Amino acid sequence: MAASRVSSYSLESQRVSLARGSSALISPEGVREDGRSPHECRPAFLQTGAVNAAAGSAYAEFGQTKVIVSVFGPRESKKAQAYSDIGRLNCNVSFATFAGSVRGKAGQSTEEKEYSQMLYKGLEGAVALHTFPKTTVDVFALILQSGGGDLPVVLSCASLALADAGIVMYDLVSAISLSRLDTNLLLDATLGEEINQDGSLMLACMASRNEVTQLLLTGEWSQANLSEGLKLCLDACTKLAGLMRSTLKESTSNIED
Amino acid sequence: MTEHEHAASVGEDVELEAFRRLYPLEFLEKFLKDGVRPDGRPLGRARSTLISVGSLPHAEGSAMVKLGNTTMLAGVKLEVMTPSVDFPDEGRIVVDFQMPAICSPHVRPGRQSELEPVVSEQIRNALSSSMMVDLRELNIAPGKAAWMAYLDVYCLDSDGSLLDAALLATAAALADLKLPEVAVTDDGKVLPASSDVQEHRSLKNIQSKRLKLGKIPMALTCAVHPKYILPDPTAEEEAILKTTITVLTDFSGQLFSLYKPGGEVLASTSTVQDCFALAKYRGKELQKIFNNAVIDAEADDAMVED
Repeated sequence: MAASRVSSYSLESQRVSLARGSSALISPEGVREDGRSPHECRPAFLQTGAVNAAAGSAYAEFGQTKVIVSVFGPRESKKAQAYSDIGRLNCNVSFATFAGSVRGKAGQSTEEKEYSQMLYKGLEGAVALHTFPKTTVDVFALILQSGGGDLPVVLSCASLALADAGIVMYDLVSAISLSRLDTNLLLDATLGEEINQDGSLMLACMASRNEVTQLLLTGEWSQANLSEGLKLCLDACTKLAGLMRSTLKESTSNIED
Repeated sequence: MTEHEHAASVGEDVELEAFRRLYPLEFLEKFLKDGVRPDGRPLGRARSTLISVGSLPHAEGSAMVKLGNTTMLAGVKLEVMTPSVDFPDEGRIVVDFQMPAICSPHVRPGRQSELEPVVSEQIRNALSSSMMVDLRELNIAPGKAAWMAYLDVYCLDSDGSLLDAALLATAAALADLKLPEVAVTDDGKVLPASSDVQEHRSLKNIQSKRLKLGKIPMALTCAVHPKYILPDPTAEEEAILKTTITVLTDFSGQLFSLYKPGGEVLASTSTVQDCFALAKYRGKELQKIFNNAVIDAEADDAMVED
């Protein structure tokens, strides 16, 4: 095909906008690029019932990160699967081709596979699988726009969608990520901050039971930094859980009206 | 209402749902006889339609369309390509319709829905036969560089008349598309306009612009019952009636193509003509909605530039 030599125009422009040191991301006064203080979360918007065709669904927007999660089921498990006394949770995460600044390719990338697995692991402990024996609940996520902290947003959104579908859970799962840039701990990092980070922390927890479902740590961490980071994440998760709860309450009161 | 009557009405609710599931055709016909559709609209009307453009910051053009519950999100991403030898001054538009697993219980991840390639092809045909975009508009430097526009339409919620909504999203995303300002070297290398000018002396700047649009294609799907024609059917109506006729026209009603893929009901000439008349009416309605959405976006542009 004549058009096979596609040069990466968008790649070049992306490099221009993202290649900056950590000093550009946080000012000496401790103000981040988007005007937040280091320990402040991005403005979040949550909504249930985004997809009518699904049993339950939710839309979440954290700054520039936008995701939709649909839940289907409980429904018949695939024929090929062995008999199971408890229910199954089937998770899949995919990126829209226009989610990032470079056009993604169709088909499942390794990142999508990794996220799918992480989503499953993060939710598994929170869902009461024994309440739907022999059947499967499908949790599908589509990342419409990737703006940093994609996985924690998908996780929180998925647990909201599960609640919207009426799947029994022990508690809502709320998740948040944190980036370490040098000695600065930046809560709920944006994509630009994630690219320049020296270490990252992702925490998913059931806030009212005070239980952690998933903890992901990369990079080098000192003991002091780590315990401060964990505390920050736990606090943020508790706040986020409150927001998720009120979103759910609002959606049910709308039905009653 | 006495207590007895109240109990009866609760019973009726349960019976109604059972009736709907067990005898879907009779259920639908009961409504049609009274001149309404199950969702409450009159027989010949399409669902309320919403278009908003420019919602995706990573895409050079984007649009979101809601047709009742059916929701489509279209985004155009640009890349630079070397034009073919035969058409040195033309770019390309590649259209892909995607049904991710979130949109419907019938789609499973990893397995392509049967509808995806069909709708993709229908959108491509509509674009080429309406000549909405002159591909020469995507030219950067003849023979050396041109824009390749990847247009991906995602179905976010599937509730019938997918082609109608997808085509509308396609058209609106192309109307929203803004070619960025670039600099071209003599040998056809394309650089972002902001890049360092010192290195390449022979740079030629090309201003950012919107595409000049030709006739804008639209589709109207009609579900056909032996006695009634239902434009813009929901997924439920499509499933019950099985026969659809899709008319593709421009907003003024000029016919581009017509699809009638089999089905149980034979379409007589008068049925086809009725569908065509409905499409003409719908075209006028859509033109207003479309222009409002696109003009709003252009007004926003002007404000940013000022």
